[in-house]
Order: sequence, then structure tokens, then C-alpha cells
Amino acid sequence: MKVILSLTLFILISTTGFSQFKKKPNNTLPKPKPSQQNKFLEKQWWLGFKAGTNFAQAKPIQAYTVMVPTNYAAALNAKSYDSFLKTGSQATLEATFYFKGFSFSVQPTYRHTRFTYFNQFRWYNTENSAETLELRYDQEQKLDYADFPLFIKYDILHDKIRPYVQVGIFYSMLINANKAVKISGTDYASGGTNQFANEAIIVGAKDLFENYWGLAAGIGVNYNLGNVRVVLDASYWKGMRNITNTKNRFGNDRLAGIGDAQDDIDLNNIVISAGVLFPMRFLSSNFKTLDR
Amino acid sequence: MRYIFLFALLVVLGCSNDSDPAADKASFTRIYDNNKFNAAYYPIDIKQTPDGGYLILGGRRLENSNFAGIYLLKVDAFGGFVSEVEVDDELVAPIGPLMLNNNNYYFFCMTNVGLQTQLVRVDGDGLITDQFAVGNSYPAAAAADGNNFLLQSYNHVDKRSVVSVVSPTGSVSSSKEFSIGAGDAVEEPIINHFLQTSKKLPFLVGKVGNTYYFNGFYNYTLSLAFTNLSADEPQGIVQGQQDDGGISQAVPLDGGKFALARFNFGDNYFLPSATVSTSGISSSSDLGGNPLPELTPNASVKILRTTINARNVVLYASDTRSKQIALLGMTRPPEHS
Repeated sequence: MKVILSLTLFILISTTGFSQFKKKPNNTLPKPKPSQQNKFLEKQWWLGFKAGTNFAQAKPIQAYTVMVPTNYAAALNAKSYDSFLKTGSQATLEATFYFKGFSFSVQPTYRHTRFTYFNQFRWYNTENSAETLELRYDQEQKLDYADFPLFIKYDILHDKIRPYVQVGIFYSMLINANKAVKISGTDYASGGTNQFANEAIIVGAKDLFENYWGLAAGIGVNYNLGNVRVVLDASYWKGMRNITNTKNRFGNDRLAGIGDAQDDIDLNNIVISAGVLFPMRFLSSNFKTLDR
Repeated sequence: MRYIFLFALLVVLGCSNDSDPAADKASFTRIYDNNKFNAAYYPIDIKQTPDGGYLILGGRRLENSNFAGIYLLKVDAFGGFVSEVEVDDELVAPIGPLMLNNNNYYFFCMTNVGLQTQLVRVDGDGLITDQFAVGNSYPAAAAADGNNFLLQSYNHVDKRSVVSVVSPTGSVSSSKEFSIGAGDAVEEPIINHFLQTSKKLPFLVGKVGNTYYFNGFYNYTLSLAFTNLSADEPQGIVQGQQDDGGISQAVPLDGGKFALARFNFGDNYFLPSATVSTSGISSSSDLGGNPLPELTPNASVKILRTTINARNVVLYASDTRSKQIALLGMTRPPEHS
């Protein structure tokens, strides 16, 4: 179903985008001949950079565990993921081609993203409540990606403030990954109620993940400041591929030893960026490229 | 152009990395957890069953016995929990391996009160289907021998190490007993081994050609002894140092050689192709070998004959002082037809 929806969406995108290149028969009244300046403004190249923050959501496709309960429900140990809670960051180079209200934009990005989850275990004696041990495993996952998104934007207004909508596709190449696991708990069995927290275990986890791709949609606004364009946009990036290396989910000895196995995960992000774009085409040194 | 774009999209979609059951079966790590605070389990042997799952024989702590209880766990091909059996504590002290015979799995244990050896039959689902009284006490080591089983046990009444050939119905077709020596001192480490209050002794039993061998106590010392189960005395003996030295694992190779591991007052030595005299008396300390100071003192050792990348190898597995598993592979001499 996911694949069908994706395919349908992209057929629509591609149809919309490439239809701009078609020459339509002119069977209506002849349009007034555009002035040289208006004709010039129909096309523009923009180059720039932007940066911002992102919030990740790790959505389990299938859960995996090292700890297998034999006399209690597995749900008691289930992992609980946060959702759009941890902030990450990203930096983007943007190259955009504007043509008659539509823009085709390539935005290579370095993205650092984080998400967390935790699970808990409890061992106890029904005949002696003092014989109880509780453990909590807090896991923070940090992932670095090189993203290669391709966006199609449509400018809703063509004034100095130009809001737009955008849809796109991206491919994300894994650069680095590591995982920090903090173990804390309460020991009721050693006399009293003793809470403890161990130093976080930090391990390289690049082998646990793979590249992935996804779809993106969002909104933004351009503000023309002289010949410079200030941009602010927010988009939702939906991962369409499991980011986990399925062959290596148990491959890290230290993580397996503390009972952690990598779930199959779709990674979604809310990406918010701000930046500046510079026009590449000028009529003259004092020509305002956008302000008609 | 549009078709190129759509084609690229289809290629990307085709590269999806959804869950991979084959990979999930090929490699997994599981810790089977019981949330009872006082429960304790340990594994003895694991066998893959015809349904792709696994049958695990284990021991468990008993509240009312100094011996270990019996635990059977059945898991599926992905390591998922299927069922468990905490065998009634009338049966204790299980020993491996799980021995396959006619699609059933067998292991030895003994009764908690009479200390009589029992042969237990388990089906592929981990359920006990039958139990046979064998008669000897204190089962110490076992091995499959064709359609029969070899059993080394300890006769605490006469203070003798016993080697027996046992059928799948528990009847003993041949057996021989060898004195461990007089006095309680020599028996003490044996009993402590069963009570798990001291170091575990590397009891083992097997057969090479028509000769049976066992690693057990004989004449006051832990010895690798060779017997034809007819003569009253072993034909060959590789003596250790009471319970402080001896053979910790032995797997026969071709040409009368053995892949051995031995220990001596805490030190460990591997001998991947040792010539062992199956007649006369020799000393394990004279065998030499490659010292492995990384291993825990008197380490438990497993030896596997196998083939890796078309090479015949002997694979050693043991525990290191830093609580890791050490694997050492050595090329095996070519087999003779």
C-alpha cells in the first residue's frame, strides 16, 4: 500500500512538473507580448545556503528484542519511543531554478538527527516485596546523514513576500551513527531503597543502520530583500525505507550484551530551516530581479 | 524524460529494506528471562529441531535440593519463546548433551532421593515423553554411540567410576567400573562437582575405534582412561594431578591423534593434534601444548571438528579472564580414508 501511494504521488508530481515544458496550442486570444523585463523574470537561478533544526520520529515497523520473557508478558519490556522530541540540526546548500511560478530545487544537506527510547525490567519475589530489582535502559540514538533532496516549489504569491508550498523526494546517505545507553534502577533487595545510575555506555553504531529514502512536503516563505532572498521553510520528511541494517541488528556485542536489539524503523523528521538565496541572473547592476 | 524519472522512482522503490526473515533466522541474540527474583537457570545443551526451532536443556536452582533441577525450553526458529518445562524436582542433576535418536532427544539425570540415574526422552516440542531407570548413580558425562548412548557415572557406594553402554530404553548392555581409590578425600571433589559448590570437573566419555575412553577419576587422580569394557583395568591412562590437573577436553582425530585441552594448577594448554598413548601410563603434564594465559583458571573448553571455507579445522572455545568467549581455530591434519 505504501509503495502504491508513493508511486501515485510521484506520478502526480512528475506530471505536474514536466507539464511545464510542454508547448500548449494557442487557441485563445493572443496574449500581449511580454516586455523584455517580464520575460527576463520568468526564469531565474538561485544559489544559497540555509540551516536550522529538525525533530525526529522513529516509528517502529517491527520490534526486536534480546530479552525474551518466559513467564510474563513481553509488553512489559516493550520499548517506548519519543516522537519529535529531540532536536537535531542541519545545514543545506540550495540550488533552485525558478520558472513561471514553479521552482525546481536541489538541496544537499548535512543532517544530524536524534531520537530516544527506553524500556524497563523488573524482577521480584511475590512472597517478599523487598526482593525487587528494577532497571531502566534509556537509549539515545544519534545519526548523521548526507541528504540529497529534490523539491518542486510553487509560489502562491508573487509579491515581495512570496509564500510557497513544496513537495519532493530525498535520498539519505548514512555518514555516522552512535548510541548512548544509560542504565538506572532501583534496588530494594540490598536493604532499603537504593537508586543508582551507571555511566552511559557509548558505542559506534554505524553498522546497525543503512541509507534510506523518503518523500517530503512543506511550506515556506521567501522575502525579497533587495537582490537577496531570505527564506524560511518547514517540511515534513517521511522515511519510506527501513533505516536498520537487518543483517546487523544483533551485531554489536556490547548492545546485545545489555539486551538491546535494533528495531526495524521508519525515520520521519520535521525540518525547519532559514537562510539566504542569491540570484544568478542580472539585467544590469541596479536591476531589482524580483520586484516588478 | 518523464519515463526516466518514473523508472528511477521504481528502482528506488524496489530497493526497500523491509524486514528480512532470512537474516532474522540466520543471526540473533536472545536472553531468556524469568522475572522471579530467586530464579536461576543455566544452559547445558542446545539442539536444533526439525521445525527449525531449538530445544534447550538447562539446569535450575531448587529451593529444596542441593542438586540442580531440570529445565527444558523450546524456542522457534527466530529464538522466540514457545514453551518451557520446569521438570519436577524429583529429577535432578541433568547432564548433556541432548542426544538425538529416532527423532527424539535423550539426556541423563538422576533421582533426587535415590540418586539413581535416569534416561529421559524428550520430543521435538520440548515435552518429556518417557523416562527410563538406568541404575547407576551420579551421571557425570554422556555421548551418543550409534543407536546407543555412552554414560560415565560415579558409583558412590563402591567409590568407582563407571562406564556403561545404555540403550534408548535404559538397559545397560555393557559396563565396567574402575576404583577411584580409597578414602573420602578423593571423592570430595566429585561430590562437590554435583553439588556445584566447587569447580566443575571436565568429565567426558567417548569412543574411538573399538576403544572407549573416559575422563574421570581413577586411582586417586583425574585421568583420561582407555578401556575395552572387558578388562578390569584400563589399557591406557593419561594421569592428571588429582583434581588439580588433567585433560579438560578431548576430541579424537584421525590417525590415533586427539585434539586436546589440558589444565594444570590453573594453567590452560591447547594441543590441536596430540599423540595420546592408548596403552600404558603417561602424564598429562608431559603432553606440553600451547599455553593460554588469557583463559580463566582451569577453564572449561569445548572443541569442535568442523569445516570452514573448505578447510578442516579444529575449533576451540573457552572463557577468558575478561569474561569474553575466546575462539581459536587451527587447521586439522588431512583425513585418511
